[in-house]
Order: sequence, then structure tokens, then C-alpha cells
Amino acid sequence: MIEKIKISISERIILIFVILLGIFSLTFLIIIKNKCLFVKNYNPKDIQFDNPQNIAVLNTNCGNVIIELYPNVSPKSVKRFKTLIRSSAYDDVAFHRVIENKLIQTGDLEFGKRENLNYGKIGTGESGLGVLQSETNENFKYKKGSVGLARTFQMNTEDSQFFIILEDEPLFEGEYTPLGKVLYGIEVLEKVKFIHKLEIVPRPDFINSFKMLDQ
Amino acid sequence: MHLYRTILVVFIFITPLKANTIYNLIKIPNLEIYEIDTKNKLRYLHATKPFKLGLNIKKNISCYNSDKKVLDQKYKIIHKNLSRYSLNFLKKINLKYIVLCENLSIGEIKTAGVPDNIMRTLILDIKFNEEYFERAIHHEVFHIINDSYKDFFNENEWKNLNKKNFEYSKCSTCNNKWNLALYPEPKGFFTEYSKSTASEDMAEVFSHLMFYQNENDSVDLIINKKIKFIKENILKIDNKFKF
Repeated sequence: MIEKIKISISERIILIFVILLGIFSLTFLIIIKNKCLFVKNYNPKDIQFDNPQNIAVLNTNCGNVIIELYPNVSPKSVKRFKTLIRSSAYDDVAFHRVIENKLIQTGDLEFGKRENLNYGKIGTGESGLGVLQSETNENFKYKKGSVGLARTFQMNTEDSQFFIILEDEPLFEGEYTPLGKVLYGIEVLEKVKFIHKLEIVPRPDFINSFKMLDQ
Repeated sequence: MHLYRTILVVFIFITPLKANTIYNLIKIPNLEIYEIDTKNKLRYLHATKPFKLGLNIKKNISCYNSDKKVLDQKYKIIHKNLSRYSLNFLKKINLKYIVLCENLSIGEIKTAGVPDNIMRTLILDIKFNEEYFERAIHHEVFHIINDSYKDFFNENEWKNLNKKNFEYSKCSTCNNKWNLALYPEPKGFFTEYSKSTASEDMAEVFSHLMFYQNENDSVDLIINKKIKFIKENILKIDNKFKF
């Protein structure tokens, strides 16, 4: 006969502790793995816009970023930007330059595409449509969420690359061509992958799609 | 080829992040905003640590950070003088950033300013000679103007305004004893430094016009011709410019 051994109280406490620890670890792992867990995803169809023809929707892993474009501020640049968006040129393009809580940059159509990522040249690519004249505006306030066209250190070298700022940048005023402003979803951009102390992001996040609202 | 690519990628990834917006804009390290909310949109920056600049490894331009008290005091003077240039004029001559620091030197030769119209920047030594400080500010602004409009300020045309036997020195730093004091009776030149090079002479005439404003009546024919030359060409850039 096998004698049944009773579990002592202390053994029960240890068992409960181990089970709780397991549950806690598993939950924690799921939360950490999913960086988008607490990020609100905005559906543009649920929102009323004053200028729907100027609304662009950028989709990333964590959801939608809804941007209003300002053709009245920078007519030629916004026209180019819309052309590229409508041709799906920005789909699968890397967020190649990300500075934590400061700025994200993307739009290298030549060296930033998912299937043709070139770390050695990323940030120097062209759209093939030629460079644009800068349309800087001293009165445009570069507040958090503002979108602007990137350029080299020289003016009049804007093309397809653009940036979105994650904090106010008064020094950008009159320096960079403004394109528009994020209306909803700035928190989505704050989840884009960055590497501390690195400007170019290895194995970066990508734009899933970038479309005009009426597209 | 693979090795080259690997080295390149590694280099990119180990390059330290320079998230500093000022550095990204004008490529000068160790600067902070002093004042950017100005009427003519000039942006004043100041050095927080010493910095070195230059095209090659030697980095021959150097400048040092200043004491806050000195900075506050000199900023008032600099701002008063530079406020006389309109936003429109500053845009035309490519000047936007004023860097304030002290003991500015190029190749260990002290200088009042380092103008760079490509980067739209003028570095000013706020401890430069007290007596000629204000004039020196306009002198350095002229170098930005000159660099942006080389065709207007033709040196050969300028040289012809001098007496036939006069020749400028080979460079402005060939002699470090150039005196900036005004001649009591100028004969073709306002200062000894005017005699260094044509562009320095032009800058001295311009700074004289800006500093003394309505006291520019001269009996010297050459000086009068030089004043006319500078005024005419500045007005070609901006016909609303006020001396």
C-alpha cells in the first residue's frame, strides 16, 4: 500500500507562488513583446475632416497616422508629396533615421525600400523626379507633429524624404519646407523603432502603406 | 567589395548620434540657443564649450565659451547693431545665424569674425577689441555681403579707385600689426587695415558708413568714390537699404 502524503502549508504556499510567478512572467512577456498594446489606432472613416482632399493616412505596425497637408503653405512641395503618395511610392519604405522623442525620417525611395534596403546609402536616395526648390516659411511654427521635407545641408535639395517631429523645434522654422501636421496618431510614431545613440536604424520599421484619404 | 560594405555599415552604426539640431543645421558643435525670437529672424547662438572647425583634420578655426555676464552685456551691443539689417536684406545676403564666443582665431591669428555665407553663419568674437567692436560687427557683415555678391564688388574696379602706384598687401593676415584706428585725415583709406586687401578696404568703408551713419562727409576724393561705390552696390542688392 502506498501511503498518501499530505502537502504541508509551506509547500502549498511555494506552489501558489510558483504558479503566480509563471502567470506574471507570461503576461509581462506578452506586454513587452507587443509595443503597440496601448496605442490607439484611429480609423479615418470615423472622423470628419474639414479638408478631406488634403488628408493622408500613413499606416505602420502600430496603426494609422492621420496627416493634414498644407498646399496653401508649400504648394509645389505638397503637390509632389501627393503625387508620390498616390503612386504608393512610400509603401514599404523604412523609417531610416529615428531619434527618440525628437524626430523620425523616412521616404528614401531608392535605398530605403524593404526589398532593396541599402544601409550604406540609405538617406541619400532620390525619387527620380528631381529636386525641389525650398518653400520655407518663417511664419510656420514647427510644433510637435509637424511634417516637413528633408534636404541636404543646402537649400533647394528637397526630393521625397520627409520627417515628422516628436517635439517642438523652433530652429526648424524658416529652415525646412513644411508639408503639414499630424492630426491623429502621433503616439503611433513614438513607437517606431529607434536605437539609442544610433542615427541610422538597423533592421528598421517600415511604412506599411501611405495613401490619400480619397484614394 | 563585401569587406568594404561591412566596414561602411559598421562605421555608420558606430558613428555617435548627433541629435543636436544646431549641429545638424550649421555644423558647429557645442552651441546652444541664446536668442532666436528676433524681429529680423537672426538667430543668436552661443558656445557652451570650446569648439574647433575646419575643412581638414587640423581644424584651424577655434573659439571658446564665454561667461554669462559678458555674453549678456555684449549681446545687447551686437543685437543693437545687427537689428539695423532687415529680414529681407539678410535673406538676400544669406545670413541667419550669429555664433557668439570668445578668443576666436584662425590658424592662431586672432580675428573679430568668421563669415560663412554658405552656412549662413557669422561667428563673432565677443571679446574682440572693445574700441572698434561695433565697427567690426559691420565689417564682418560686409564679408558675408561680398561673398554672396562677388560680381557687384569687383576688386579690380575697386583697385582702380586708388592712386595708380598703390598696391595692397598680399593678404590680410600677412602683417599682424595692422591698426584699426581711424586716420585723422584719411587719404584714400580710413584705417591702416584698409590697406591690407581690397576686400578688407571695402569692409572698412562699409563699416564706417554703418557706424558713423550721417557723419560721412569726406573731403578726400578717393574716399568719396569708394563710399559711392559701396552705396551703389549695396542698393543694387536691396534698394530699401538704409545706411
